[in-house]
Amino acid sequence: MIRRRFPWLSYLVVVTGAVLTVVPFLDMVMTSFKGPGEAGTLPYRFLPKAFDLSNYRAAIDQLDLPVLFRNSVVATAVITGSVLLTSSLAGYALAKLRFPGRDFVFRLVLSTMMFPPFLFFIPHFLILVHWPLAGGNDLLGRGGAGLTVSILALAMPFLVNGFGIFLMRQFLVSLPDEVLEAARIDGAGEFAVWWRIVVPQTKPVLVTLGLLTFVSAWNEYIWALLVSTANPDVMTLPVGIQLLQDYVDPTRTMPIVMAGLVLSVLPVLVLFLLLQKYYIRGVMLSGLK
Amino acid sequence: MVNALAPDTTGRAAHGARSAGAAVDVRGRARRRQVGVAYLFLAPTLLFFAVFLVLPLGFALLLSMSRWAGFDLADIDPVGLDNFASLFADGSTFLTPILTNTLLFAVGTVALALSGSVLVANCIDRLRFQGLWRTLYFLPIVTTVVAVGNVWKYMYEPGGLVNGVLNTLGLGSVAFLQDPDTALPSVVVVQAWASLGSAILILTAGLKSIPESYYEAAALDGAGPVTVFWRITLPLLRPSLLFVCVTQFLTGLQSFALIIVMTRGGPGDATNVAALEMYWQAFSHGDWGTASAAAFVLFVVVLVVTLAQLWIFRRKGEDA
Repeated sequence: MIRRRFPWLSYLVVVTGAVLTVVPFLDMVMTSFKGPGEAGTLPYRFLPKAFDLSNYRAAIDQLDLPVLFRNSVVATAVITGSVLLTSSLAGYALAKLRFPGRDFVFRLVLSTMMFPPFLFFIPHFLILVHWPLAGGNDLLGRGGAGLTVSILALAMPFLVNGFGIFLMRQFLVSLPDEVLEAARIDGAGEFAVWWRIVVPQTKPVLVTLGLLTFVSAWNEYIWALLVSTANPDVMTLPVGIQLLQDYVDPTRTMPIVMAGLVLSVLPVLVLFLLLQKYYIRGVMLSGLK
Repeated sequence: MVNALAPDTTGRAAHGARSAGAAVDVRGRARRRQVGVAYLFLAPTLLFFAVFLVLPLGFALLLSMSRWAGFDLADIDPVGLDNFASLFADGSTFLTPILTNTLLFAVGTVALALSGSVLVANCIDRLRFQGLWRTLYFLPIVTTVVAVGNVWKYMYEPGGLVNGVLNTLGLGSVAFLQDPDTALPSVVVVQAWASLGSAILILTAGLKSIPESYYEAAALDGAGPVTVFWRITLPLLRPSLLFVCVTQFLTGLQSFALIIVMTRGGPGDATNVAALEMYWQAFSHGDWGTASAAAFVLFVVVLVVTLAQLWIFRRKGEDA
């Protein structure tokens, strides 16, 4: 009861906070419609004089947006698909199959979550560049661009996710063994057991994990920046937009940058609004982010 | 390709054996088959960890104790702990301002995000449409750092929204990101703004687990809202608070993408942090050795915080 006192004060706090959260997004959208010379000039005006769509066309042309979009989509799809597949397979093996070394492998998976990502940027980059016999390299990894020539380089360090395996394993441990045994007695091999029973039973977790992975892969910046420095053909949306913002006069191009940002944010935003229940559960489960 | 064929062969072998009528030790065979299948299912994962976890860790450690131009792997020149020594030598900027900035950035973010999320989570808990509010606060989290960084950078401009509001209030403009004194706090605000949503989410879950009867008892005793907050809400929320605090602190220590986007570490070294310094040393100066050494120093800091976290949570577990 006492919790419900002063509702107006609570409303004031929550609404103020929500406005502070949403206003930057609104400013981004409004700026994306502003005409030349209208953004970044004094005095500040929130609304555009007219809703000018030309910035969106400019963003699409100047940024080579279709290519950036394709690269982002391919990298995100490969990462999400691979994480779901490997997490489900490995999680099933660790939860339900008996084999020597299981505890060791599980501990290895847990320990991968202890290592911070920044530790790997340099070695991952160097390993991909110096990959032997790839992208014009010789046996000692000299002479070429290694695996960075491929669009898959964007996805490579993220193909397996320790947290994903851990999540699937924890969920599968509570799945009754009888269901699996029944299928085995009916003559199903382990692969069939996995595909016909484990995957359908874990659908909600797979959606949660898939969505978390999708969002972080789509938004990935530092690694994509490094790979596209070695090979500009594999530039992703965030990298391309940041490049435009870095090198041109801000007052003139700001609306174009904002238009590009709106386009890059939109797919994730739509997906999030549709499946937010799953995403929020994922954040609760991972605790981080 | 070999892996893809393997389950098929085992399946066929087992099938052949069964049709031959040799059904003596089915259980034992099933066990043995499970071992093969288990390692087959784990093969991509183990291969990945070997190439993208174990090998890089060794490589990074080797690099941190070498000098290398970055071309021929045979030319890696071991120099012992020289790279670490140079990070902490007189005149090096690594300890101050870079490592200091890293800590200030993390502490500042935690302080802002924690106080903000406690306030908002408490208020949301009393309102209707809680899902709607939480979704709104969540928007920054699903947005790319490039969008967040650029929108705020633009808002901090002389002709941007923040200065627009200041001017409307009759205040002068502030060069938020260009002034060395305001640059770091300005970026801290953005990082805290972006992490508010998940903190609110975890704290709301914590608040929901506090039994309503405690509040009713307090109301019967005539306790005011302030007393209730300090005596009931905060102590019972401690596990969630601790969790948010430590995870945000760890995230803060490692962040540098937002800083690259907004200030590139400048002006001067005003917003440079350890992970960003690692990035510059490696990818701008090609000094892989110093960069890897910097990464390991930051790793030790992160490790100490992580171990402290485990220790705190274990102790808390004993209390309960």
